[in-house]
Amino acid sequence: MTDSALRLPRRGSRKRKEGRSRWGENNLAGYLFISPWLIAFFAFAFIPMVLSFALAFTDYHILRGWNFIGLDNFQRMFYNDVRYWRSVSATVKYVVFAVPLRLVFALGVAMLLNTNRRGVAFYRAAFYAPSVVGASVAVAVMWREVFNREGLVNAILGQFGQPSIWWLGHPDYAIWTLILLAAWQFGSPMLIFLAGLKQIPEQLYESASIDGANGIQKFVRITLPLLTPVIFFNLIMQLIAGFMTFTQAFIITNGSGRPLDTTLFYALYVYKRGFETYEMGYASAMAWVMLAVIALLTAIVFRTSSHWVYYETDEGI
Amino acid sequence: MMKTKKGWLITLLVLVAMILPGTAALGQDETVELRMAWWGSQTRHDQTIAVIELYKEQNPNVEIIYEFSNWDDHWTKLATQAAGGDLPDIIQHDYQRIQEWVTNDQLLPLDPFIESGVIDVSNIAEASLAGGRVNGQLYGFNLGNNSETFIIDVDLLEQAGIEIPPIDWTWDDFEAIALKIQEELGIYAIGGNLHYSEHWKGTYITCCDAYAYNAEGDGLGYTEEQDQYFVDYLNLIKDLTDAGAIPPIEETIARTGLSVEDAYIVTQQAAMEYGWSNMLVAVWNAAGEDRTFIEHSVPSMAGGYPRNYIKPSMFWSISKNSDHPEEAAKFIDFFTNSVEANEIMMAERGVPISSAVREALLPQLNPAQQAMFDFLGAIEDYNSPIRPPDPVAHGDINSNVYLAQVVEPFLYGQMSAEEAVALLRQEAEILLAQ
Repeated sequence: MTDSALRLPRRGSRKRKEGRSRWGENNLAGYLFISPWLIAFFAFAFIPMVLSFALAFTDYHILRGWNFIGLDNFQRMFYNDVRYWRSVSATVKYVVFAVPLRLVFALGVAMLLNTNRRGVAFYRAAFYAPSVVGASVAVAVMWREVFNREGLVNAILGQFGQPSIWWLGHPDYAIWTLILLAAWQFGSPMLIFLAGLKQIPEQLYESASIDGANGIQKFVRITLPLLTPVIFFNLIMQLIAGFMTFTQAFIITNGSGRPLDTTLFYALYVYKRGFETYEMGYASAMAWVMLAVIALLTAIVFRTSSHWVYYETDEGI
Repeated sequence: MMKTKKGWLITLLVLVAMILPGTAALGQDETVELRMAWWGSQTRHDQTIAVIELYKEQNPNVEIIYEFSNWDDHWTKLATQAAGGDLPDIIQHDYQRIQEWVTNDQLLPLDPFIESGVIDVSNIAEASLAGGRVNGQLYGFNLGNNSETFIIDVDLLEQAGIEIPPIDWTWDDFEAIALKIQEELGIYAIGGNLHYSEHWKGTYITCCDAYAYNAEGDGLGYTEEQDQYFVDYLNLIKDLTDAGAIPPIEETIARTGLSVEDAYIVTQQAAMEYGWSNMLVAVWNAAGEDRTFIEHSVPSMAGGYPRNYIKPSMFWSISKNSDHPEEAAKFIDFFTNSVEANEIMMAERGVPISSAVREALLPQLNPAQQAMFDFLGAIEDYNSPIRPPDPVAHGDINSNVYLAQVVEPFLYGQMSAEEAVALLRQEAEILLAQ
């Protein structure tokens, strides 16, 4: 639409002015066409973000209005809020276990599915399915039932003479049900791994076989190094998703963070402060701290990447 | 230059096209549009919608737009609407929350509509309206009377060889009965929820004729020596849990959010259940017609005051930003005084406050409704006065202090009852002082 090749030549002295009015004519239509997206972006993403940043420095309460209170929200968070630190510890525990578990599962299944046997497409779809319905309420509700008193897990344990356990009510176990759920929803990283595996040239494995390498050696020396860019990408994405986990805890533990706040994920606590006790200012401050922490962690992972991520193009094969 | 003008013309047209649908309604006739919001179960939704349809039939100039949800979503939605100055005209409100909403100037006083006769209160006792008053003005219109209750499965008690206790039974009586039920039948005496903050507040009603909060709402309403009463209560709950008469906290928490069909009183895994009196209709419905239940008072403390008080189950309130407050008040009057409307709802929101409506419903009650009417009739002679609505900080105290830091850690064995109650005092005082 703004293709300059279509412009007719103009006289030099008026070029600038003309150029500006042309911008108006040509681009305006373009902006109008993308206005649905633009309006939504500004109304639902950009402006709310700016507002929430401003609110982080106020005591905004939905019913009460707001006052500017400087850094008080942050002081309260770090020094006076017991539940805040419980939510941090629950989230960190979740991320530390759920993210690596999910990546290992995803890679394992991707390798199993990286063959040309018949019916493999069906299995790919089947393994991806839990992630398609991933954040949905239905999966979380089903998971609740699996770990119910009369649920699948207790039934299996019962076969081995183990007494039934209230998984979701026990402070030592409840979070593990959520971590396992996360590990099971490995679909999207798996697809990305699968695509990565298909990129690895077959000749490498062939020549390794001729040299007498076994499966483990091939995996450690060929697959893993060539897959590091994909691992890197998946790690970043899953790290971010892990810190933002909300739905699973919201459904499975009724958004309560129970038992004893062991499933009180950060995002859940932000929600509770914002919508249950209406403390939007405080909730905004918490949200921005999370953003800063995620940004910092991502930056750290990026920094370390030069030591372990291997790009073929750097040196060639 | 022509081209630029054309560009602006297009811009203008697009903008007009975007605004137009919003203004189209302006030119129309005198139809009054009321928005309404409530929380509740499917039964309540169906009944309320039927009443709205009836009202629209009789008042063709009124259009009522309604939204309903569960308790949590109701308040989330209202909070966002309040922030945007876009509250529904008629809001179902709650005793625990109304103080906060009035303090923050979101609701309209209803007294003018009573004075002008738009809402007819000639068949309503003042005591039934009192709960909706904040600072002397009426902000919530009671939708039915309620009280805390222990629902009792009469057949199970008989099987265990236990007589129905008297209305002024004590926690000591309860302890003896609970242990006997456990012993004789091997089931829980009660389905749980004895750790809710209602029992903290109730402890100070029955022991000391006091309340958890002071009248100003800026501190606790009981002395440090009186901490001991709640310590004793918590220890009783813990002892009964250890004896197997109350479900352990792991179980209660793992089971939160289940529907009434799974309640232990329904599945006969418990002989009693704690709740509000309007709950029995749903419980009996889920349990089946062949069962027999009654509603009973909550135990009091030996030598103390009655634990029960009569509470407005919920309110209709009119929001401050309503464009048609008078029309909203007319609807509230219809909801309260129309026999026809109340025959649809059959006391689902508690026992109707209009004596004329009560009399009209009496011959039509099913056993559950009958039991509820009987219970509220019985405690009319044995009750404590209702306390002022909870202070603004109650919501915060309840979820972030009482449950999360005090009672649940105690029940999980992380602290003693003395430590728990002292911590409750310390943390609640901080939030109340703010």
